[in-house]
Amino acid sequence: MKILSGIVLVIVLLAGALWWVADMQPAEPIEIDNPRVRLVPGGAPMAGYFTLANHTDSPVRLVSASSEAFGHVMIHRTVVSADGSARMAHQDEGVLVGAGETVEFKPKGLHLMLMRARRELEVGEAVEIVLGFEGLEPAEHTVVFTVVPVTSS
Amino acid sequence: MKPVRLALTAVMLLGLAACADEGWNGKSIEGLMPELEFELTAETGETVTESEFAGRPVAMYFGFTHCPDICPTTLARLVAAVRRLPEPMQEELQLAFVSVDPQRDGPQQLADYTDAFSERMLGLTGTQRQLKALTRRYRTTYGYDEERADGSYNVSHSSAIFVFDAAGEPQLMLLDSLGVAEIAADLEKLLARRAENADSA
Repeated sequence: MKILSGIVLVIVLLAGALWWVADMQPAEPIEIDNPRVRLVPGGAPMAGYFTLANHTDSPVRLVSASSEAFGHVMIHRTVVSADGSARMAHQDEGVLVGAGETVEFKPKGLHLMLMRARRELEVGEAVEIVLGFEGLEPAEHTVVFTVVPVTSS
Repeated sequence: MKPVRLALTAVMLLGLAACADEGWNGKSIEGLMPELEFELTAETGETVTESEFAGRPVAMYFGFTHCPDICPTTLARLVAAVRRLPEPMQEELQLAFVSVDPQRDGPQQLADYTDAFSERMLGLTGTQRQLKALTRRYRTTYGYDEERADGSYNVSHSSAIFVFDAAGEPQLMLLDSLGVAEIAADLEKLLARRAENADSA
């Protein structure tokens, strides 16, 4: 009896370990962390930030973004030149994320430019933004962004 | 001395020389640019000149409200830095946001925008002539990209914050690379110097 229960225990432990190891593999091909929209008053465009990790073994390209909460969304990068002049560069070809790589959309860098909010947003609110990719199946991912204060980073 | 070590020593010496720039994190512009002078329209709708700020140190930023990324980031850092200062210093410092996009930034738009950051921030804008006069005075520029199909457009502008003392003399350029702590340290030093001058006067 003792031997039998010992064997059962070992089997259960092994199965558990296997399940745990299997679970360590990323369940999703891409991972989007800390998606947030920085609230700007007065109807001016807002910025969307997040971290995008590509867990697949081939590159993916973020090519589009859209939201029912905004009239238009563009993928931009802020560029500060050597003379201190700042401008925004539209990412015509989208943003490439290499196999296993992570790209950060953050203040003073890559960001979603969210234009013409269709309703008044409030801090803490959730806003859905659909990100479109090339090299990924399915191509569209709906991401829930949190509205954060303008004074947050 | 090995070349690598020599190079390292040179870099360290250069670093020291840079720090010796009166110990500012920003770039000192004292004596390099003319005193503050402008005529603009405030967020109240009134025409104002530099006399509006007479007797108060000013931190001024050139931007536009339809700027989703760098403008709010820089203004938020500035406001966070000001909050780290001792209370009397906070009240002394005037914050100014000059929009170089008068077409979209009317008084109400400016007021809504600056209020979101600080009650001590005054929004200003002006005609192209007024804005060109002010930006040229501080050797900076701004410009407009081509309009998109929906009529929206991008604006290029300076990324630095210009700091003036209570007499309107330019003191510092706080570059966009500076963090909250570095900005706070510079502002505190500048405002403390002013307190010292007041004491000795």
